[in-house]
Amino acid sequence: MWKESYRIGVEKIDAQHQELFHRVDDFLRAIKGPGDWEDKVEQVKKTLEFMQGYVVEHFADEEAFQQEINYPDFAKHYLIHEEFKAEVAKYAEKFAASGFNEEIAQEFGGKLMAWLIYHVAMEDQKVGAYVRSQGGSN
Amino acid sequence: MKAEFVNPFLMATQDVFDRMLGLSIEKGKLELKEDLIAGKEANVLISIVGSLLGAVVYSFPKTTALEIVRIMSGMEIEALDIFVTSALGEVGNIISGNAVSYLEKANYRCDIAPPQIILGENKSVSVAAPKSLLVPIKTKAGDFEISIALKENPNAQS
Repeated sequence: MWKESYRIGVEKIDAQHQELFHRVDDFLRAIKGPGDWEDKVEQVKKTLEFMQGYVVEHFADEEAFQQEINYPDFAKHYLIHEEFKAEVAKYAEKFAASGFNEEIAQEFGGKLMAWLIYHVAMEDQKVGAYVRSQGGSN
Repeated sequence: MKAEFVNPFLMATQDVFDRMLGLSIEKGKLELKEDLIAGKEANVLISIVGSLLGAVVYSFPKTTALEIVRIMSGMEIEALDIFVTSALGEVGNIISGNAVSYLEKANYRCDIAPPQIILGENKSVSVAAPKSLLVPIKTKAGDFEISIALKENPNAQS
């Protein structure tokens, strides 16, 4: 999933993005890979749980960084993170309530993949551009 | 149906395809249609309300849909399953969200509804706007269409 063009030019954030992509990639391969759903569901649950924790941690780090550099669009970016966390929590709840239904996991996987790429490739790029406009790199 | 409503969607599609997929888009000849048509195998319908009323449909042939998802996921997928349509729905949602930001700069304030997926070709969609503009798009991942049916809302608060 990860592409070099997704880098924003801030080392710590880029490293976390790569880790996040790696985890989402694991999740997608778990839900799309061969085998019966019953055999895969434990791995799907485990990956989803880990990812939820990691997303919260990463967003917190990103937000701290944005405040540190006085990023002018911080409030908007923060709101996007909050909405995303709420969306993930909603899916996790729906997934559990359905008795870990495969279709819900697939639907969530598709949305998560597109959202993550969009967020990193478009929204986070604006943070990178701001850093460069201020004369910084890392 | 004003042509100025179309450009924000084309600009947003270009931005999103460039950044997310590393693809440039080439616009074909616009066609005026009597209806809004979900023309290809996988269609994403987004309703729009606010200063403008109507909807936009992103219509993907199966091969284009699967290639877009392959570029994003790095996985070969063979069927238009719920994973694929959910990803396409989110791409349509992102493009439309960006298009609405462009419209806002032209003083049209609009909101978008969550994406609806329509599977199957040439289904007519009922919307508030009377006619639609169909824009054929060519990309290296395959062709697709954007159909836009929007009219100014006479009851909109400015």
